[in-house]
Amino acid sequence: MASIQDFTGYQPTWCPGCGDWGIGMAIKKALVDLNYSPDQVAVVFGIGCSGNMNDFLNAYGLHSLHGRALPNAIGIKLANHNLPVLAVVGDGDCYGEGGNHLIHASRGNHDITVIVHDNRVYGLTTGQSAPTAPKGYRSKSTPLGLIEVPVNPLALALTAGATFVAQGFAGDLNHLVLILKEAITHKGFSLVNILQPCVTFNKVNTYQYYLKRVYKLDKDYQRDNFKLALEKALEVNEEKFPLGVIYQVKRPCYHESLPQLSSFPLVEKKRFLKYDELIKEFI
Amino acid sequence: MTFTWKIGGEAGFGIMTTGLLFSKIASRLGYQILDYVEYPSLVRGGHNAYEVCVSDKEVTALKKEIDILVCLNEETFHKHKNRLTSQSLVLYDEEEFDFDDNFKKVNLPLKKIITDLKGQVVMKNTIALGASLAILGGKIGVLLDLIADQFNKKGEEIVKFNQQFAIAGYEEIKKNYSALIKSFLVEKEEKKERLVLSGNEAFSLGAVAADCRLYAAYPMTPSSSVLHTLASWQEKTGMIVRHAEDEIAVINTALGASFAGVRSAVGTSGGGFALMVESLSFAGVAEIPVVVFLAQRPGPATGMPTWTEQGDLLFAIFSGHGEFPKIVLAPGDQKEMIKLTLKAFNLADIYQTPVIVVSDMYLSEGHKTVEKEWFDNLVANYLIKRGKIIKSSNFKSQNDNEKLKTINFLRYKITEDGISEKIIPGTPGYFYQENSYEHLEDGHTTEEAKPRKAQVEKRLRKWQTYLKNDFQLPKFYGDEKAKTVFISWGSTKGIVLEAQKKLKEKGVLTGFYHFNHLYPLDKKRVSQLFKKDKRYFLVENNALGQFGKILAMEIGLDVEEKILRYDGRPITVDGIIERI
Repeated sequence: MASIQDFTGYQPTWCPGCGDWGIGMAIKKALVDLNYSPDQVAVVFGIGCSGNMNDFLNAYGLHSLHGRALPNAIGIKLANHNLPVLAVVGDGDCYGEGGNHLIHASRGNHDITVIVHDNRVYGLTTGQSAPTAPKGYRSKSTPLGLIEVPVNPLALALTAGATFVAQGFAGDLNHLVLILKEAITHKGFSLVNILQPCVTFNKVNTYQYYLKRVYKLDKDYQRDNFKLALEKALEVNEEKFPLGVIYQVKRPCYHESLPQLSSFPLVEKKRFLKYDELIKEFI
Repeated sequence: MTFTWKIGGEAGFGIMTTGLLFSKIASRLGYQILDYVEYPSLVRGGHNAYEVCVSDKEVTALKKEIDILVCLNEETFHKHKNRLTSQSLVLYDEEEFDFDDNFKKVNLPLKKIITDLKGQVVMKNTIALGASLAILGGKIGVLLDLIADQFNKKGEEIVKFNQQFAIAGYEEIKKNYSALIKSFLVEKEEKKERLVLSGNEAFSLGAVAADCRLYAAYPMTPSSSVLHTLASWQEKTGMIVRHAEDEIAVINTALGASFAGVRSAVGTSGGGFALMVESLSFAGVAEIPVVVFLAQRPGPATGMPTWTEQGDLLFAIFSGHGEFPKIVLAPGDQKEMIKLTLKAFNLADIYQTPVIVVSDMYLSEGHKTVEKEWFDNLVANYLIKRGKIIKSSNFKSQNDNEKLKTINFLRYKITEDGISEKIIPGTPGYFYQENSYEHLEDGHTTEEAKPRKAQVEKRLRKWQTYLKNDFQLPKFYGDEKAKTVFISWGSTKGIVLEAQKKLKEKGVLTGFYHFNHLYPLDKKRVSQLFKKDKRYFLVENNALGQFGKILAMEIGLDVEEKILRYDGRPITVDGIIERI
């Protein structure tokens, strides 16, 4: 059985106190708890402080471009659906640059787990406002205050057809591990939005800010209730942050709906040789 | 004997289907064809036309004169009458329009037949096909068979109903125009079985035969029919065909699948390719194989979607930021399309880098006959070469300890040929990452000078290895001693070949270098081909003479005389001849 140590790569370069440390540890712990070893998992990383986890997490990794981790993850899953596929991305990465992919990955119910580091700020590029930053937020790119209203990632994924939508907090590692384990085990598209303080560039959404405003969903919370899930997703507008699995339903995943994959993964498919069946139409 | 049959009518009324049926009829009767479509970027309205050049021998170019023009509306006549001669036959419906020009008139009462047989307007096509077959001296049977093939699923009654329109058209000619009947389509006694293939279908067949397992695309003319063809085959072939949300998702789906070990390809035209190029650069640095099918159309931007141009060559060659190796190939016809597609998938795997197969609307959407036997032999002898990509089951683990601890595989190991071994993700005992950042041999990100330099050089060495092992010089056609030599690439091949033939008939001998392997070029071997005492003509379907610029850049050859066309139409044989 693999250990946390087995999944541990290079020494992280994250700022001391950054929420990424907690998320990185939670991912490793979840994979260990689920009995995976580094050779049994594929992880795609976006670009940002979150994506820099590529060097700190041992797995079959693909460090992608900014915004493009989701289609890469979909491609990996289609090629080898026996591999669990994770996408470790940031808020700018997944809700800004790659926003379109989030909508369509949700619609397709592609069986990938998208883990978003939501710190409401661009850390790696030194503190511009992210798509999740609140209206009026002042940053290097918005010195007069952000004009746009924020993206609501939970509501976006829900309405786009995601079958698993959850929210975690980087300051509550044990709870985050539970959520991630459920997300990875979920058959279908799973989004885990993780509230994460950026200790260097975001002086508003700090640990203290979140600690006062997060709460865990009750044990008897009905996670298959779409309307209730939408209500939960909208609580961010009142600065309330539910933690846990906000929504989960069963729907066949994309790869399960492909007759081509009914008996074995694409990577193990035999070469097609009956050309006569194809060329009939050209005669 | 070579003749051109052309049909025209309003867009949305089955001209395309009818033209292709005519090509298949000619092929089934033992003839060879080349066809070409003209249509606006509209679903309804506007003018559609389809011409088929038919011959006993291989047809490599369209012909200037139209021998049989089928006018389903008046516009067809006016648009194309400048290509008619006094010997040309014009099939038209007097009830629709009439004309006084000196062509051979064949009045075909399309409207009346439709009314009498209670048909729909679209069935005018079937009448026209029956009539065409009659006037060309063919037997009706082949058309009735094709109609049966088309409607069999809908039942015998529908088959019979449609067949009667073909028969009506056929009989009309037999009865009223027996004096005009030619013997152009008399069934050949000895005939080879041939496939009527568009360039896009040729690519599709090549991709299947190369064991491409994932094709992703976003619809874009003139590449879309690859998506349709491969999607329609997916249950048979087992290929996964993903129509993703945009071209960025398209190429990144393919890169993900390729990372995970399966041969993957994408298809698009210039605008879609523009969206892909950041990811092409990702494939370059992360060393992910991918085949890109680029069917050009006239740009810039949306340009003229349904017309032809070779305007994206420089863009393809220089696509992607940063410096990384890529291979650019361009087939000249359907056979070369299949061959080079098969090769492209091998090259992508061997060199673990993007390979771009460049087509254009003229080649992608036009059909040509290809002997079935040739195809069968080609695919039967094709070997899949994955280079240093190693299947898990074939990988001899160096990791004795595999159950206890996984090892970081050196995915980007520095090698002499620039190519590193890749094990398929999921191989037990190991892990590694492929990285869009500059990286160390083990895949981890680095910003150190020394490993950066080593990795840049390693990647670029793949080009040297390619030039040594897989690059091919242009093919030479014509007379070695000729002073006049054409240079072209891609789909202009057949047109130049036909011009050479015509010039030879006039006593002008010419040579012709046709390039398939466009980039990188082996400078030394290519420059040796060109001599000071020859007169070179560059033939390209663009305004800048783009391949000429590559020759100037790579081997210092400045071809001053250029035969260029950039009005959205293909280069013509006459357009070449008049310049010599």
